Amino acid sequence: MSLAEPAALPVAASAPARLHIVTRFSHRFKTSLPAYLLLLPSLVFLALFTYGAMGRVLVDALYQRATPKAPVRFVGLDNIAAVLADSAFTGAVVNNLVYAVGTAIPSIGLALLFALALSRTNAVNSALRAALFLPVLIPMVAASALFLFIFLPNVGLLDYYIGSLLPVLPNWLGDSDIALYAIMVITIWKNAGYYMLFFLAGLQAVPEDVMEAAHLDGAGPYQRLRHIIMPELKPTFLFVTVIAILNAVTQVDHVFVMTKGGPSNATNLVLFYIYQQAVEHYDIGKASAATLLTLAALMGLTALSFRTMANREDGP
Amino acid sequence: MLFSRRLMLGLAMAGSLASALAVPALAEGPTEIDLFFPVPVDGKLARDMGTLIKEFNEGHPNIKATAVYTGSYDDTLIKTRAAIKAGKPPAAVIMSANFLLDMQIENELTNLDSLIAADGTTKEKFLGQFFPALQGNAVIDRSVYGVPFHNSTPLLYINADKAKEAGLDPSKPPQTWAELTDWAKKLTKREGDKVTQWGIAIPCAYDYCGWMMETLTMSNGGRYYNEEFGGEVYYDTPSMLGALTWWNDLVAKHKVHPPGATPGPAVSTSFISGNAAMMMLSTGSLTYVRDNAKFAYKVAFIPRNVRNAVPIGGASLIVPAGQQADKQNAAWTLIKWMTSPEKSGWWSRATGYFAPNMAAYKTSDMVEFLNKNPDAKTAVEQLDVAKPWFATYKTVPVRKTLEDEVMLVLNGKKQPKEALAAAQKAADETLKPYNAETSLKLP
Repeated sequence: MSLAEPAALPVAASAPARLHIVTRFSHRFKTSLPAYLLLLPSLVFLALFTYGAMGRVLVDALYQRATPKAPVRFVGLDNIAAVLADSAFTGAVVNNLVYAVGTAIPSIGLALLFALALSRTNAVNSALRAALFLPVLIPMVAASALFLFIFLPNVGLLDYYIGSLLPVLPNWLGDSDIALYAIMVITIWKNAGYYMLFFLAGLQAVPEDVMEAAHLDGAGPYQRLRHIIMPELKPTFLFVTVIAILNAVTQVDHVFVMTKGGPSNATNLVLFYIYQQAVEHYDIGKASAATLLTLAALMGLTALSFRTMANREDGP
Repeated sequence: MLFSRRLMLGLAMAGSLASALAVPALAEGPTEIDLFFPVPVDGKLARDMGTLIKEFNEGHPNIKATAVYTGSYDDTLIKTRAAIKAGKPPAAVIMSANFLLDMQIENELTNLDSLIAADGTTKEKFLGQFFPALQGNAVIDRSVYGVPFHNSTPLLYINADKAKEAGLDPSKPPQTWAELTDWAKKLTKREGDKVTQWGIAIPCAYDYCGWMMETLTMSNGGRYYNEEFGGEVYYDTPSMLGALTWWNDLVAKHKVHPPGATPGPAVSTSFISGNAAMMMLSTGSLTYVRDNAKFAYKVAFIPRNVRNAVPIGGASLIVPAGQQADKQNAAWTLIKWMTSPEKSGWWSRATGYFAPNMAAYKTSDMVEFLNKNPDAKTAVEQLDVAKPWFATYKTVPVRKTLEDEVMLVLNGKKQPKEALAAAQKAADETLKPYNAETSLKLP
């Protein structure tokens, strides 16, 4: 090769290369155009109703008005500071933590119990599964209306049956010490059947041969549960826990119908607090700030759980 | 290529379809207006409203009104505000009477003075049709912003059978707090520590609780708020302290009232089932009690400690701000029609609310109805001592500060005095921005 050649070559080569990139790009674009067009309707709606709304919340969280007639002005992080300083918000966060833990653990425990008991398919079990799944089919608002009657003090269904056993009849939803637990009962009743489905599916994945081998080796029911079934169900546990916690933050229909966060904020949960700020206080800035905080917490939680799940798939 | 061309064609078709749908709306025809209406009490009201609007449309061919059900009072406020923000306010709304001031402060209401003047009448003449007690919640800064549509006052409901059983005369109901306490004691039945029948039940849930506190405070000589100015409430006062202390005494000292916070429907169920022998509840529940009570009942004025006085409740018709002139006029025609003596009376008989238009009680249908149901008359008679419903800047949060504290007291977690001081402090905080713009904005 002569020395002159390389000088000429790049020029000759670069033009087709650039051309090549352009054509390749346009070619790729052309081939994927139908795909983008097909996605366009969903993208438009996602942008309008999901990302647009999130963007709007972000903007709204930065603005506030000083007095009722004053125009809104940029206040930076003041709204977030105001939310964090509000004892009603911190109270709602504490309530929500109690509510999340207090509903997730019992409903998952019950769900596992139901799934283990009903894992074999026969007519009786199918009927029982359907019965346990029934609460899932009842809309939360309807269920809350039903429980309003069950919890009626003195004359409700609950007091009718267990009233004679108690020394004093409690005001289930009107006593600030009891109300949150009464609300939790509904959530557990409603969600346990739903989580049972996941565990039933998870149980199908437990290898039959391993179970048989354990049986032949003389492993008792407890040992099989502890050493074979539980490890196999770990991904299911993780998934259901995430769902249960998300439910604890996003489902407040029963609070809305039954207590409106009362008495004295005893059943106020974060999402209901946001509703109160937006609607009752008519304070969009504070409501948006509280929404952002909740969104951040939920996204953090989801990211964490997905990472753990991904790690698990690589691991043993 | 074929694919995208087909897609373009589809989009073009969708576009032309959309414009085809939009065109009729622009064409000349009857003025179309929406009426937002809440159903604060049970069931049948939505159907009654449909009947009413159908009759209106038949009588007014150049207006086509549509009744839009919007949930509870609170939901109706939310939806109206959302519609105003979206630039498409409804032409008229049946709005909880104590939200009007807050909406006026937020510039969300149409001043009705010019519409009244255009009819060739005066404000005084127009308002003169309605019971004087209702005017306080309809007039703001001497301008009319609402027209009373259906209203209520709190009443004392007595299970007459149980009263007779306890040796009390239901034809002479208790008139003072002392007599009521005495009645409640006699009507309470116990088995050991357990109460099997409560003497009296007073509802306390968000919304109802504030109204009952206003009721008790007023009968104790007090005022809940500054009727002339939306920036003040009087929570930390002797009259309210007396009211809350008495309520708490019924629960904790005399043990004749169920503990904790009990919502309105639970109280009425308790009364209907015979578990509570007396209750304080809205006149709006009268139809429900009449239809469901399997015993003789009696209604009476709310007993007094210092004076006979009660707040009004219920809703007014409003025209949201930002409405086109033709729709505004159509809405005004609808509002005048709905609040006319005949329609007002019809609605009253259907719902149990009283008719705000005084002339409604002179119609023959109403005279006949009252003769048949004398209990409905008590509600109307009590109007003589009725006063406006509390309305402040941010009415709901300001009310909630009191309700949260009252609930703590009824649950035995706080003493009345410290609870009211805390409520006052929190309410003042909420009212601060409004005061900064009005009473504390000095030259």
